Amino acid sequence: MFASLAIGLYLLGLVLRNQQLVTVAVVLLSFLTYAAFRTSHADVASSGRRLEENKSDEGIQLGGISALRKVSSSRVFEDGEIDVVLRIQNRTPLPKIIEVRDRVPEVMRIKKGANYVLMELGGRRETEISYTIEAPLRGFYTIGPVCVRVQDTFGLFHNEREIQLYDDFLVFPKMEDIKDAMIKSKVPKIFTGAVNIRNPGEGSNFYNLREYIPGDPMKKVNWNATARSGGKMMVNEYERDAVSDIILIVDSRAISETGPVSRNSLVYSTRAAASLAQHFLSRRDSVGLVTYGDEIISVDRDTGKKQLYVILTKLAGAVAKGNTPLRIVTNRLMPHINRGSPIIIMSPLEDDPTIIDAVRDLRARNFMVTILSPSSIEFEFDARRLDSVGYELLKTERDILMSEIRGLGANVMDWEPDMMLVTALAGARGY
Amino acid sequence: MVEKEGKDTSHLYDGKSVRSSAPSRKKAAGRVTQSISIPKDAIPETNVPTWVESFFGGPLVPSVRFLSPNKTVVRLQTASITVLLLLGLVTFVITPASGTAWFWLANLLGVPFFSGLIHYLLLIGGLVTGAYGILQRDQRMILISQVAIILVTIRFAGSKVEFAMDSLDISSEFIQKLMLIFYATFLVMYIELSSGVIRFSMLDTSIRTREVYVMGQENIVQRYNRSLATTPIIAAFVALVTLLINVIIPALIGIFDEVSSNRLSESVELTSVYGVALGTAMVFGIIAISFTINLPARIQKFQERRAN
Repeated sequence: MFASLAIGLYLLGLVLRNQQLVTVAVVLLSFLTYAAFRTSHADVASSGRRLEENKSDEGIQLGGISALRKVSSSRVFEDGEIDVVLRIQNRTPLPKIIEVRDRVPEVMRIKKGANYVLMELGGRRETEISYTIEAPLRGFYTIGPVCVRVQDTFGLFHNEREIQLYDDFLVFPKMEDIKDAMIKSKVPKIFTGAVNIRNPGEGSNFYNLREYIPGDPMKKVNWNATARSGGKMMVNEYERDAVSDIILIVDSRAISETGPVSRNSLVYSTRAAASLAQHFLSRRDSVGLVTYGDEIISVDRDTGKKQLYVILTKLAGAVAKGNTPLRIVTNRLMPHINRGSPIIIMSPLEDDPTIIDAVRDLRARNFMVTILSPSSIEFEFDARRLDSVGYELLKTERDILMSEIRGLGANVMDWEPDMMLVTALAGARGY
Repeated sequence: MVEKEGKDTSHLYDGKSVRSSAPSRKKAAGRVTQSISIPKDAIPETNVPTWVESFFGGPLVPSVRFLSPNKTVVRLQTASITVLLLLGLVTFVITPASGTAWFWLANLLGVPFFSGLIHYLLLIGGLVTGAYGILQRDQRMILISQVAIILVTIRFAGSKVEFAMDSLDISSEFIQKLMLIFYATFLVMYIELSSGVIRFSMLDTSIRTREVYVMGQENIVQRYNRSLATTPIIAAFVALVTLLINVIIPALIGIFDEVSSNRLSESVELTSVYGVALGTAMVFGIIAISFTINLPARIQKFQERRAN
């Protein structure tokens, strides 16, 4: 603006032969030139992880300002916090006034401290900036680059460099405790999974011998062992047949993101899948995951804490994309899972004409199908993007579709936005 | 069988179109709601700059609400108003109404006193709006004031340095040019200080709303104050050299040839505004060369070596 004004006045001064205007222009230009002269002292160079990029810089810009970042955790759950400490070093012997902005993903909230700092940094000094960010939404995120800016004192010119320093972190979907919402396989398990459970219970495989306790049925008494034990009555114990292969299917088609960013079907589905996975894995069941959108991504059934993190990572990275029909998923899946295993589908049940056929196929093969359907109509209605007539019409159609699916023997729950997962699951199970 | 692309899934099921539920409920909703446009909140907000903003490199008047001024801002406000008053005084002394558009218009209408009236109304208006803008931290008013004060000086001068107050009777060319430099320096300082008021208010508001954290605020303000003192002096010196080119060039030529030096010093072109243009070209040519050879970086390197 100053430069435009100066040039304008200079030219006008020459045209009107007005020394006063020309003088103003000259003073203004001198002012600008001096400020520019001082700004080109800016001496900002990159350092940190991607140090090799510095090679493109030349001369004195190789030295200067460098940054190092420490992040408290690289994996958090939704609404979790990450502490970031950014160390800024001035390697030159001259003091500098610099602006530092550590770029954080847009959806993150700065909870404590600031990621934007204006400071005077003495020669050969370093300082630390610390701030806390809150991660409200699942996903893969990156902190960085660090933008460092040196300005002249009047704020007319600046030199800016991006220090290519990045830290990646993962935000897992939030989990709910769903102890009460048990979903169990109706048939004894055939495939025992990777972990042999070894818990006594009502099953068919022999587990252990123990002394008779009053109340034990006589058919459990092991007479041979009793004879060998010298008078003590011994009974057989059996392994509990409680281990199930649970298959979680998450609909991550483009339509599943209908609604506001933080309240849509995909967000709810991933949270539900995470909670269910955690619950079943803590029971030492074997859990598998399938997400489908533009492609089908699956996590093989397995047990243990490691499996939970594998599932959470996949859920964190689920992106709403594509329009793969559910039937394609079930057709591909069915040959690989045991009949009777519970299948939990989390889908808004929209824009997919194959849903009925897919559920019919699953039920025909005796799979126990549970559908948790976060209602995108509710999300849209809450966000005032849908008027009441449209809402009623869509709601009616949705209810008809759900009744049809229920008629096939699947447990279906219309999961409304304010309903807790436990309630939704209890509704889905029907008891 | 030719595979079909798109939403139709018939190619996946032996040519059968699989449709067991109401197919497009979204479309139905679109028909019922009478609007199929994209919801407003689904479109990210974009701010396309106007051509004026593009030309000036940003919004002319940022719409920011400030918190109550802190000590630095109050100090800058006081300095701005002081400089504005001095600028008003110097403008009043050195800028006559003759040669202005309103001078021509008033003469055309046969009411010559109108030119003076408009001239001084513009000047007073500039001062009042400027003072109000500074105190209220209203950039629109500051901008109006700057435009008014610059507008007063836009006149056809015919290469002569003319003063409004003839009673001063300043005949010395050096003093005339010094007065011009005073005027120009005050104007530039007014522009800088008034924008400084806005800038420091923004910074203070950002600090207090915890948008930005400032380390060593005192030192930063001190540096700004130092620059406020040194930069105008340097700018004024450069301008003086530029304006006195009609003295400097003959003096340089005089070392080799006194006759040519005399001829040059009497040259009308060199003393006119075109002489100033020549001086500007020469001075800024030197500055351009210093930037070309990366002089600032070399000075920096030298300072660093000395500090080491």
